[in-house]
Amino acid sequence: MSVLARVFETAGLTTVAVALVREHAERVKPPRALWVPFYFGYALGKPDDPKFQHEVISAALDLVKATAGPVLADYPDDAGPVGMPQASDVATAATNGEAKPLDAAGEITALRGYYERWQEQRGRTAVGITGIPQRRFRGIIRFLEAYAASDDADMDERPDDVSIPQFARYCADDLKAFCYEARMAQRPDDDETEIHSWFWGETAVGALIDSITQRLTATDDPKLQATAYGLSR
Amino acid sequence: MPRLEVLSEVQRRMLEFFPCMESDESPWSPLGKPLAESIVAIVTTAGLHLRDDKPFNRDHPGGESTYRILPSDADTADIVQSHFSIGFDRTAIYRDINITYPIDRMRDLAEQRVIGSLAPNNYSFMGALRDCTVVAEQTGPEVAQRLRDEGVDLVFLTPT
Repeated sequence: MSVLARVFETAGLTTVAVALVREHAERVKPPRALWVPFYFGYALGKPDDPKFQHEVISAALDLVKATAGPVLADYPDDAGPVGMPQASDVATAATNGEAKPLDAAGEITALRGYYERWQEQRGRTAVGITGIPQRRFRGIIRFLEAYAASDDADMDERPDDVSIPQFARYCADDLKAFCYEARMAQRPDDDETEIHSWFWGETAVGALIDSITQRLTATDDPKLQATAYGLSR
Repeated sequence: MPRLEVLSEVQRRMLEFFPCMESDESPWSPLGKPLAESIVAIVTTAGLHLRDDKPFNRDHPGGESTYRILPSDADTADIVQSHFSIGFDRTAIYRDINITYPIDRMRDLAEQRVIGSLAPNNYSFMGALRDCTVVAEQTGPEVAQRLRDEGVDLVFLTPT
């Protein structure tokens, strides 16, 4: 992003950048940057808090008053989480010794009502990268279960210019968004850490995605290993 | 981002050694008019795109250095994210797209006459690239030209 700021400024445009990694902004030197001490994913600090977001934007826009640069200012107020648990930070449903069978397809069906409530309440959803409607997510589950077992898995819905590993990633992202949004509708008071811990630690979908990661990581193919790194870690 | 010292050792080392295009100085184009008269565009590296646009795709050489157009009048319900990284917390953008793409906040500012107006289009790139050469030399300048053609004065850049 800092590189883009430099490209635009060189072309005669004035730029203001919000920077999450101060050390990188120091090295790349965008002309005007506001470093914010928020976790990745929280560039403007707090979701659903227009007032806080406006304060951050206002601090950034103030930088256009500078007469010489580079300018790298620090935003003073902290907000949001300081990290998030990944799959490896919690015992997954596949490994935590629970006796109940893992049924990702059944789980999707059970969460559907909550997911639809979220969509209704919010008016938007992050689900949609695959283009497959959520009512047909059981097909995605079948594909990912087959892909967790071997490379010989595919879906008719996969576009020709998207490889199977890349499509598996899109499927995983859609399933994650579906589950997270359903959980946020079901338990609106849960914080981010609780939601991540639930997904990786208690759901069959989380265990399924992590099982694909385990298989791809164990291959000798760097491209598959890169895909695995984007699924869970 | 939280200060490096609060991150895990792995994440801290990854960020410390992340390849950056380092510079000694900055280009400088001051705003030539009051902010309240300026046309503002958002450019984000959050990997966002319209629902019916192609997701970012690493299968093609340079695929991660492409960009997507986000019209200012697009409904936020029609914008999704296909960012490659899982190193950021998506719960925030699931809740509120403005956390990284502050389109509603910019609409507020235009209504309040803090900025002149929103540009017709905003742009989205992929972030966390280990090699920014194509962005720096090709797709970035292409978007700069588009922004200029669209009368933009000020670009507000956001990461994810």
